[in-house]
Amino acid sequence: MSDNPSQLASPLPDEVRAAVFVVIPAYNEGPCLASVVEHVRAQYPNVVVVDDGSSDDTLAVAKRSATYALGHIINRGQGAALQTGIEFAVRQGARYIVTFDADGQHRVEDIGVIVDPIRRGACDITLGSRFLDPSGECANMPAVRRFTLRLGVLFTRLVSRVKLTDAHNGLRGFSRAAAEKIDISLDRMAHASELIDFVRHSGLPYREVPVQVRYTDYSLAKGQSSRNALRIVLHYLVGRVMP
Amino acid sequence: MSPFQILVVTLSGCLFTGSLIAFAKGWASRRECLVWATIWLTAGIFVMWPELTTVIAKRFGIQRGADLILYCAVITMPIGFLMIYARLRALRRELTVLVRRLAIADATGPGASPLATPSEDNSAHGTE
Repeated sequence: MSDNPSQLASPLPDEVRAAVFVVIPAYNEGPCLASVVEHVRAQYPNVVVVDDGSSDDTLAVAKRSATYALGHIINRGQGAALQTGIEFAVRQGARYIVTFDADGQHRVEDIGVIVDPIRRGACDITLGSRFLDPSGECANMPAVRRFTLRLGVLFTRLVSRVKLTDAHNGLRGFSRAAAEKIDISLDRMAHASELIDFVRHSGLPYREVPVQVRYTDYSLAKGQSSRNALRIVLHYLVGRVMP
Repeated sequence: MSPFQILVVTLSGCLFTGSLIAFAKGWASRRECLVWATIWLTAGIFVMWPELTTVIAKRFGIQRGADLILYCAVITMPIGFLMIYARLRALRRELTVLVRRLAIADATGPGASPLATPSEDNSAHGTE
């Protein structure tokens, strides 16, 4: 996060930005969280950080830097943390809810891109896609990661029957109406596929929007390994047959 | 009776009695107590008179009683594991709901006192 927060432009009017709640699930993100939150808060006043039972100082950092800080007393997984943050944001009166990763891989500018179609009434759900980025390539994306993500897209088309270009991007946006209907039951990483199922079954209009994902040593280290993808698929499939 | 039969029949008898006591005292559901009582009674009878299993097996076209018990185990054990796994998943979900409630109750930030809001509801999470 090397950009100066004050220099980041947002296309959204102030009253819209005030109605946006950015939900950041965080697990052992102490080294990076303050910087991420600082950048987001420079543009969006409502930042909800959900610490998922971290063993480091993530919760303390969240309390210092975020607008709202919530802490799971034990680790329940990213899906559970997202649901906690979304529920909280809805209760606080959010009109637009954006999910944002804590490892610094998302750009604050893209929050505007995510929210804009929703506020214009074009859809209720927006899903960020790194593969729609006009610049063509995601810088520093390892080949194995690219291959795994492509497999994920194929899997989503086959199983969830939703045509997406990027099925597992943490940057998503929901209207209040959509957020009120979300009930993530898969606590861990398989929630991403569950959310795609929600998109399909809710019948709410959705669209993919181009966003950039920054691959740094830190975000790559924090990200899911390709080997772990198989476990996530298994969790998702079991979750489908055994709610 | 062999020492093994004495041991298993005694154990089955104790467990059968325990199931009946649980039934009488209301420690577990009526159905649960009856299922367990039936299991322990059947186990005790089959260990005491093993030839009975062969008689039943032959009715199903199986030569040996031991084979019948093996087939039954092959069918029932995965079902049992699945039921335990389903229960474990349900408990995990309930645990998550509890953790979430605590997190929201202890949230810090402006106006973060959602416990007082009327939208408090856990029915969507399938809690019992």
